Formats: sequence, structure tokens, C-alpha cells
Amino acid sequence: MLKNITLGQYFPGNSLIHRLDPRTKLLATIALIAIVFVAQGFSGFLLLAGFVVACAASTGIHLKFLVRGLKPLMFIILFTFILNLFFQTGGTVLISIWIIRITSNGLRMAGFMAARLILLVLSSQLLTLTTSPIALTDGLETLFRPLQVIGFPAHEIAMMMSIALRFIPTLMDEADKIMKAQKARGADFETGGLIARAKAMVPLLVPLFVGAFRRAEELALAMDARCYRGGKGRTRMKQLKFQGIDGLAALVIAALLAAVILLNRLNLF
Amino acid sequence: MPIEVKGLTHVYMPGTPFEARALNDVSLSIRDGEFIGIIGHTGSGKSTLIVHLNGLESSSPGVVFVNGVDLGLKETDLIAIRRTVGLVFQYPEYQLFEETVEKDVAFGPRNLGLSEDEIKARVADALRMVGLPQDVAGKSPFELSGGQKRRVAIAGVLAMQPSMLILDEPAAGLDPAGRREMLELIKGVHDTGVTVVMVSHSMDDVGRYCDRLYVLNRGEIAWYGTPAEVFIHEEQLHEIGLDVPECAKLARRLRKSGFDIPEGLYRTDDVCEAILRNLRKGSDATC
Ligand SMILES: Nc1ncnc2c1ncn2[C@@H]1O[C@H](COP(=O)(O)OP(=O)(O)O)[C@@H](O)[C@H]1O
Ligand SMILES: [Mg+2]
Repeated sequence: MLKNITLGQYFPGNSLIHRLDPRTKLLATIALIAIVFVAQGFSGFLLLAGFVVACAASTGIHLKFLVRGLKPLMFIILFTFILNLFFQTGGTVLISIWIIRITSNGLRMAGFMAARLILLVLSSQLLTLTTSPIALTDGLETLFRPLQVIGFPAHEIAMMMSIALRFIPTLMDEADKIMKAQKARGADFETGGLIARAKAMVPLLVPLFVGAFRRAEELALAMDARCYRGGKGRTRMKQLKFQGIDGLAALVIAALLAAVILLNRLNLF
Repeated sequence: MPIEVKGLTHVYMPGTPFEARALNDVSLSIRDGEFIGIIGHTGSGKSTLIVHLNGLESSSPGVVFVNGVDLGLKETDLIAIRRTVGLVFQYPEYQLFEETVEKDVAFGPRNLGLSEDEIKARVADALRMVGLPQDVAGKSPFELSGGQKRRVAIAGVLAMQPSMLILDEPAAGLDPAGRREMLELIKGVHDTGVTVVMVSHSMDDVGRYCDRLYVLNRGEIAWYGTPAEVFIHEEQLHEIGLDVPECAKLARRLRKSGFDIPEGLYRTDDVCEAILRNLRKGSDATC
């Protein structure tokens, strides 16, 4: 079923960015995050914001889903903004009431920090919106494979991650069903104090855990039955392969880095 | 009219690429004391439909009335509705959570705020109704067999003493004997005066027990009526992945090849009788 491959975020599509190798996307995202830190002024941020929005637009994903990812971080962004606004000194004083002084430097710094955070979130959103969780773990596994020589269990971690990702929607579905079933028996999950609510979770959590263990056992059995024995000597059906567009992506990221450095030098605003 | 649904439409995850229209303009009405069957292929929207019948989901457009009360209104007391309309989900045995069977069955009545004596009496009643011996009451539900667990779960809903009982594929995953017992159990509940709505995809089951059927296909009601009225559409039912009872098929084929068998027979006994009548007539003619 379709909904089983969704994880919070991923929007399937066939755009250029969707088709990029997951390794490229992972590395490009890390590079993009680094570039956000390289940028020293608003001109650089403007360029990066333009880039992220253009990328999002090219994937056909509605901008509102990109922005939606900001919501859970709104508090942190706001907190950073206010902290910088009030506690940065220097520059001309804009407002001065009682002990509160807002300076031009403070305002600039506050805006700078907030813009940086927003850009960081948007960049990583772009990755999770366009890459299926399975592709993402595949990419991570291959990127971490060189570390296996120092004993890093890349395959095992990737396998655990993909199993976890695979079962999150299933468990959410199940939680929803159990919740409804208990509500049908008059359970009340919404009202009452903290303790009453925590208690009300028992009829949900017990069946959910029992189900999770049952599934885990079944899965282990099924993997055993198909002779799974870890990553050693294991080949894959879908080989990750770099293509032309991956090289193109590398060029674009390099150009972006150059442009941001140039803008820093020019020191426009 | 105990349950009345008008123009119900339900869309899952609207506005995303995963948008799925599970129900489309569904209307139905269920009268007191009926045994209703809802049939449809997997994914036809049966489960989505029934969670609307006790206000666990609400959708617009569409209205659902239970005993004349509009479930979509804010001031509707949904707890009261859920005590009237009991809902047994598919694989209800996966919702058990208490240490003992008794405590689990008591969960519903306790949520209704009943006295301890009343709760005890109801638990005993419910366990009897689902055919479980009283000595399982003290056992952990997790050490029972699958079929017994399911009975405990159904008892948990029956203990709320609903006047309407809705069951989502109650016989799914049971062996033939367990299946028959389960259906007889439900019939027993219906005999006590409870209105029953049973979701199923087995035509044999709904044909045997139901007064009226609603056939769902891709979220829409394709046909409804008495089993005889529905089973006439054998070919179309086949196209949407459903079958008619074996006896109805046999009766139809015999009728087509010229035997004197009335239209719309589907019960084993009726078909047997019609065949016997034909045989007797045949032997009369040759004698
Ligand atoms: N929680 C959900 N989220 C998204 N789509 C769903 C969900 N539940 C059901 N659907 C979709 O709605 C349709 C009807 O499902 P359902 O009511 O479960 O059918 P049935 O019970 O007849 O098998 C299916 O296409 C299914 O994929
Ligand atoms: Mg279903």
C-alpha cells in the first residue's frame, strides 16, 4: 500500500533531484549546510534561499510542505532571534526602554542567526522530502562502508535503520487502530490531568508493545528462513550508481560555494 | 431509524500525493433488529465506513444519524453514542491489554462509570454470551488461544450492552469450525434483540445470516437489498472480485439449463428442495 512507504516527509516524484543518487544528495546536503556557515552576509543567504526554493520548485513539491518542517523548530528560531536581539551590543542604539536596548548590531545579528537556522532546516528538508527512507539508508550504508575497516558496523546499522523506518508507519497505523478500538469501549485519551492521561495510555501502549514484539519475532523468523546472516558477502539487487546528473549536482554545489565566497568578498550587505 | 447515513464521503490524507478517496457519497439506513451485511473487496472502504457509525471518524460532506442524533454536531455526546453502538474491530484480539480476562472485559463498563456489582454482573453475562467458561475470567488474556482471545475482545464490547453491534470481519483468520462458531455466536447476540451490522467478504456467510446486504465497491454502494436481490448480479459481482454463495451458483446454472428452479434461491435448504422437486417431477414423468 502506498501509505506504507511514507515516512512523515517523503514525497515520491520523478524530478531531477528525486533521481539523484542518495549519496550525492547526502553529500550535497552536508555541503549545503557547510556553505550556509560559510556565508557571512545577507546577500549570501538570499542566494542560498533562492537556490533552495528553486530546487524545491523543480521537484514539484508544494512550498507549504517545505515550510511545514519549520514549525517544530519555530520556538528555537524565535528564541535565538530574541536572545541576539537583546544581548548583542554595539552599533547605533535603535530602541532604549528601561534596561532593554536594541542596537543595530543586535538586530543584524538576530536576523542573521534566524536566517541561518531557517536555511539549515530548509536544506535538510529538501533531502528528506525527495529521498525515500530506504534510499537514504542505502546511501548512508555505502558512505559509511569505508569505516568498516575500523570495526564500524555500517551494514548492521543501516539494516536496523531501514527496518525501523519500514515499521514506523505500520506501528502508527496500529496505534491509530488500537486507539479507536479503545475509544469505542469508552476510553478517554483527551481529558483529565497529567496522571489520568498517562494512565489512559496503558490500554494503548500494552497492545502496541505486544504487537511490536510479535512483529519483530515474525520478521526475525522470516529473515532467518531466507538465510540472512549479516552483511558479509551480501550483494544487492539495486546497485547505487553515479550518473551524469550527479556530476552536474557536484558542479552546481561547487558553483554555489564559489558564489557565496565571492559575495562574502564583495561584502555587499 | 437507528442508523442513517447520507452522502458520506471520506478522503484520506487530502492534499497530498497519497490522497485516497475511501468513501464516495455513501448512503444507507439500518432499521431496528436487522442483521445487515456489508460486503466488498479489500480496500473497498468497509472499515472506513463503520468507524463513522459511532463517531470515531467524521467527514464532510455527509451526515450520520444514530437514533436521530447527528454525530457531526459538536454538542453530540459521543460517549453515549458509543455505549449504544458497539464496535468490534478487525482482529480485536490485538487490543487486549489487561492482566486478566475479567479486567479486560470490565474496561468498557468501567469507563461508563457503573458500580462494581453491575460491572461484575455484566462481565459474567458477556463471557457467557460469547461462550467462554467462567474459569477463564481469572486468566491472562495472553495465554488464551487465538479464537478465545477474539471472544474475550467481543465480550469486552458486549459488556457495554450496546443496542447495535458492528463487527469488522469477525470471522477473518479463523478455521472453518471457529468460523461457524463465531457466526453462530453473533447470531445468538442478534437473537437477543441487538441490531447487527457485519462486515465480511464471504458471500456464503452474509447469505446465511443477513437480512439485507450492502455491497461496496471502490467506496461506493454498488448494490443493496436482500441477499436474493443482490445475488442476481452474479456476473457483475464477479467483476468486482466478489462471489455469490455456491448454492446460488448451482441454482442459477440448473435454471439456465432448463430446470424448473425459481430465481433468487441461495440458501442450501431452499436449493436442495427445489432440486428434489425437479427430481420427483422427473421420476413421475418417466414412470
Ligand atoms: N489510515 C489510512 N490512510 C490512508 N489511506 C487509507 C487509510 N485507511 C484506509 N485507507 C485507504 O482507503 C481505502 C479503503 O480502505 P478500508 O476502509 O480499510 O477498506 P476495507 O476495509 O474495505 O478493506 C483503501 O484504498 C485504503 O488504502
Ligand atoms: Mg477492512
